[in-house]
Amino acid sequence: MFLTTPNSEMSSNFPASCPELGIEVPISAIDLELRKLWEQDEARTNASLMNLVVYSEKSGSLLENSRIINDLTRDNACRAILVEIDREEAASLRAWITAHCHLSHGQKSVCCEQISFRLTGRVPGRFRNTVFAHLNSDLPLIFWWQGELSDVFTERLASVMDRLIVDSSLWREPQISFTRIIEELKVNPALVVQDLAWTRCWQFRVGIASLFDDAVAQPALESMDQIRIKHSPSDRNTALQLMAWLAVQAGWKPSGNSTFETKTGRKIHAQIESCADSAPLGLVELSAGKTIVRVSHEKDSVHLLREIESGDYHVTSLSPADPESSPDLVAQQLSRGGKNSLFLKILPTFLELLGSK
Amino acid sequence: MSNPFREDLVSRNRPEPCTVVIFGATGDLTHRKLIPALYNLAVDGELPTGVNIIGFARREKTDEEFRLGLEQLNRKVSRNGHDEEVWNPFINSVSYHQSEFTDAAGYTSLAKRLDEIDAERGGKGNRLFYIASAPEFFDDILLHLKKAGLNEAKAGCWARVIVEKPFGTDLKTAQHLNQVVNQTFHEADTYRIDHYLGKETAQNLMVLRFANAIFEPLWNSKHISHIQITCAENLGMEGGRGGYYEKSGALRDMVQNHLLQLLSLVAMEPPTDLSADGVRDEKVKVIRSLRQWDTPEKVAENVIRAQYTAGHVDGNPVPGYREEDRVSPTSETEAYVAVRLLIDTWRWSGVPFYIRMGKRLPKKSTEISVHFKDAPSVLFGALPGGVPGGNVLVIRIQPDEGISLRMVSKIPGTSLRLEPVKMDFHYATSFGKGSPEAYERLILDAMAGDATLFARRDEVEEAWRFIDHIERAWHESDNKPPMAEFIAGSWGPREADDMIQKDGNTWRRL
Repeated sequence: MFLTTPNSEMSSNFPASCPELGIEVPISAIDLELRKLWEQDEARTNASLMNLVVYSEKSGSLLENSRIINDLTRDNACRAILVEIDREEAASLRAWITAHCHLSHGQKSVCCEQISFRLTGRVPGRFRNTVFAHLNSDLPLIFWWQGELSDVFTERLASVMDRLIVDSSLWREPQISFTRIIEELKVNPALVVQDLAWTRCWQFRVGIASLFDDAVAQPALESMDQIRIKHSPSDRNTALQLMAWLAVQAGWKPSGNSTFETKTGRKIHAQIESCADSAPLGLVELSAGKTIVRVSHEKDSVHLLREIESGDYHVTSLSPADPESSPDLVAQQLSRGGKNSLFLKILPTFLELLGSK
Repeated sequence: MSNPFREDLVSRNRPEPCTVVIFGATGDLTHRKLIPALYNLAVDGELPTGVNIIGFARREKTDEEFRLGLEQLNRKVSRNGHDEEVWNPFINSVSYHQSEFTDAAGYTSLAKRLDEIDAERGGKGNRLFYIASAPEFFDDILLHLKKAGLNEAKAGCWARVIVEKPFGTDLKTAQHLNQVVNQTFHEADTYRIDHYLGKETAQNLMVLRFANAIFEPLWNSKHISHIQITCAENLGMEGGRGGYYEKSGALRDMVQNHLLQLLSLVAMEPPTDLSADGVRDEKVKVIRSLRQWDTPEKVAENVIRAQYTAGHVDGNPVPGYREEDRVSPTSETEAYVAVRLLIDTWRWSGVPFYIRMGKRLPKKSTEISVHFKDAPSVLFGALPGGVPGGNVLVIRIQPDEGISLRMVSKIPGTSLRLEPVKMDFHYATSFGKGSPEAYERLILDAMAGDATLFARRDEVEEAWRFIDHIERAWHESDNKPPMAEFIAGSWGPREADDMIQKDGNTWRRL
């Protein structure tokens, strides 16, 4: 299906040929070659709702991300732009184009374009200028930043994004990275920041909210005295964000030493446990005397268990578990679209909790 | 007391835990639509924890037999497949209550059962009654619910009723049913279901019109030539449908409810807000402003009814309407209807709306097409072939939900030639994730107390008022407009083409 175009610029640690990424094309001919792609087969439909840039500084990420995009585009039509940067190598720039095609509802073949860039060396401004010259105009730009925020993340770069997706569970120093993002938000308040650590607790939040609709559980909120959250060691940020959400929504203030204080001055004890054999989030349990509201997730189960116990009253139901992998979380985030005002609302309390240990 | 964890979580009203009582629980609707809808809500984690479901019907059945029947069909029709891990706890919340609809004792024992469920919740419990029985039992069910005190909610709780179509068979019966409903439940707790309003594109109509600044300035008689609403079905009277259809016909079965609801969404003024009554206030004004075809002559001029004769659909031979199973050989029931409507408002003065609905048409399709007036021809009118057609905005309701816009473009080349081109948006192409079934959305809305997508009493009655004139002209007048014919598998009778051509328009080719 593809025309091959030799490229003289070859970098050292990367295969000379990389068919998984499609055909290698000169940077100046990307648009031309993309048009040729579509001219070859009229039976295919090109669909795109967004520009999705996937950025990584990890060696070999292009191939891995191309596979991820192949899955993501089943449900999220986009122009995908994959970027791998290695600033330690000598300066070079290579690009590949391909399309991921899927049968839509068993009928039409719907395809999404993918442009992959590999940039090496340190050339100021090159990344922004090269990549952003190939966006689909008028469509939103979703920027999935994989790994630590590096100094490539600048105000000028962030200013062109509509949404920034990060995963704070991968950060060694989340407080520093969040501070950078908060600074960016001051300059660019329209930017929507979505942390996959926060997405990981979505179904837990929905579950808790749903359980407190129950006529038995709802009054217990006034007399809540204990909260337990269990998480896997790598998902502490998710646990703290969930804790921050509970506190902010219920109007509790952190008062040090694993306690919160309600508006009426009552103390609530919070216990956040890290367990090696836990699902990313294994348990959230809110207790008020004999009434217990609980959402739990057995490791590897595809369901969450929602429960209310109050004396003889015991109701349970299942709900879908949140996905665990970053690609699945991104897919979920993309399908939900939009704003993230709740995340911004809990962010100060989360950062307070993050800094308290 | 509010639930703080709900705040800012999802942009929809909050469905609350309740007990759902389905009347007509052994029927097809319960098995094919309602239970799979509730189950799929459970799969998606949308069903509130603690929902109980009671099936109320006449046949002798145990809980186990009832559950088994539901499971067998759910396996076949569920949108999300059948997951034992979700199904088992879900089905354990389902029980069967055997009673005649006319037997007061059955409602007394139902009340007792509901009280037991409520007692487990500290004496509180919401109740959602879903009347999915045959329409002749609607009155009995409602009156017995009242007698048993089940229409009244306990303090801090609610009792709501969903009523399936048909909501009456004419204005008189609809008014009677409305009276019975309103004597039993408050209007605010009454949800008259029209599943067309739960479809994604129908919901998108308001978004398209009022969230995009480019359409509303053009959405009036100055720029729109006419609007067509088509509901084509390729099926006939298979599966014993003839018996039901003979009593209703295309006009009452589809136009009075689904298609007039779509019409009102297309033609309404912007509501003051998105509240249920805000939207329904505007919708009812449209129905109320329909010019009435209140004489047989006006009906003959503006409404075409027809039956199909034997023909071919999808390459297969099919019988004529009067030869169908359970259809009278002398039937006077229309299997096709085309209506020309005028809305006497400032916005729509002089703009004809055409609705057509038919069985045994070439394909299944429901869509709304908005035909804009031609651009002045001073520039391109003199070209060979002139300007090909005007702009048409098409909103496809089913299948292949989406929106397309036809416009005129220059054919590449050195000469100036114009051709129509189409910009097309397909939900399925752009959004890979499937939409929930209409019943899922509507049941959840009823649990959340959001009646926006349900018909209000005055909407139903105003629609019947319009339809009744036509029915009377067809069946009671001395000067009955004739029944036209068309060959099954064609796009309807010539008379319908003639009707629209009198305005200088043609039916859109689907």
